[in-house]
Amino acid sequence: MTNAHPFRAEDFDLYALGALEGEEKRALEAHVDSCDVCTEQLGEAYGRIALIGLAAPQVRPSPGVKEQLMRQVVGTSTGRGGTFVVMPSKKPGMLSGWMWALVPLAGGFAVALVFLWLHTLQLDAQIDALNAREQEQEREIAQERSVIDMLGAKDTVVVSLAEQKQQPQGTARVLYNAKRGLLVYNGALPEAPPDKSYQLWLVPTTGAPISAGVFETTEGGANRIVASVPPGTQAKAFAVTLEPRGGKPAPTGPFVLLGPVS
Amino acid sequence: MDARASDAALIQRIVERDESALAVLYDRYAGMLSSVLNRILHDTQAAEEILQDIFYQLWRTAGNFDATRGSLPGWLMVIARNRAISRLRRHNPAGGDELEENTVVMQSNLESNVAQTQMIGKVKGALEKLPQEQRAAIELAYFEGLTHTEIAAKTGDPLGTVKTRLRTAVETLKKNLNS
Repeated sequence: MTNAHPFRAEDFDLYALGALEGEEKRALEAHVDSCDVCTEQLGEAYGRIALIGLAAPQVRPSPGVKEQLMRQVVGTSTGRGGTFVVMPSKKPGMLSGWMWALVPLAGGFAVALVFLWLHTLQLDAQIDALNAREQEQEREIAQERSVIDMLGAKDTVVVSLAEQKQQPQGTARVLYNAKRGLLVYNGALPEAPPDKSYQLWLVPTTGAPISAGVFETTEGGANRIVASVPPGTQAKAFAVTLEPRGGKPAPTGPFVLLGPVS
Repeated sequence: MDARASDAALIQRIVERDESALAVLYDRYAGMLSSVLNRILHDTQAAEEILQDIFYQLWRTAGNFDATRGSLPGWLMVIARNRAISRLRRHNPAGGDELEENTVVMQSNLESNVAQTQMIGKVKGALEKLPQEQRAAIELAYFEGLTHTEIAAKTGDPLGTVKTRLRTAVETLKKNLNS
């Protein structure tokens, strides 16, 4: 600590975290406003603290969000590659006789241009969808390769999860490879109540349970989850709980399925 | 639009009004943002509203973002968290000027799915290594937006203990992430 930079490195992290308050917070803000070095440190702290969000249970947005966004955006876009030139207009009276003959032709041409532009927008949307699908397929293929490798590994364990008394009845199996930090859950459970979600947990030999995914039951009740946890995590059990919709950072609901690692 | 284009190239395309570039960035980062929004809000509908709003803001104000100075996923995560906590605490959501306010520097490149998966594992591992009470304090601050005083009130621990605990936690987390 020096008088020139009167803050410790952790102060920037605490500020980015939102924990600082009162005079401590005001003093740091006042100093950062006039100090480039500390502004840079604060930027790094924001980036570091932002990473904590990656520990949240993974929840994918519904496809409708992207569709609505793209509709919203296309409504404000001029379309890719389109150049619109505004020509000075002429009064109708200034057209000479033979030019009137061109008016229907020009009208037809304008309609064709509009049609072509709309068609281009449609093609753009199709290309976007194909690109997104390609990226998704690449991700799925990479994930499936990891799963296939894991299934063939000698150190992969199979854990059967048993239903619990007075809870939704179902069954599940987890394949887990601690070294790779990869697990595959296959299970069947009845539909969860509207305000609830099922959540899969890895219970490590030491430390708190780790969320391995939040899921809703699909038609027919079957679910498959592939999840990553920190490689090297030793598991003593796997469990499924019923949690408030969207899941919780630590289990709060009743155990629906439970299986110890033998 | 190449799904493997860099964030900086995609931002430039958005500035040029190429909506397919926004679609690529959405596919790249929406999952990450959706997870943090749902974790903070526990409300899928509210999370999706904010998610759409953030990407629409990116579309409108991409020209203000200097991808060579800051990290796009870092900025998106900061904005997502701020918006979610504002909603949680019923504050007015932040306006549209955040792109200019803070430069968020992230040492890691999260442009590919593989990089994101690796970083998720690393962050989870780094948090797991913290003692339970430190991890809980960091989660209360990050996911619930609580200050030192509010954490002390919620946990019943003395304010000084909470301050020391959080300071040690962020220091250790930094070391764990860099190791």
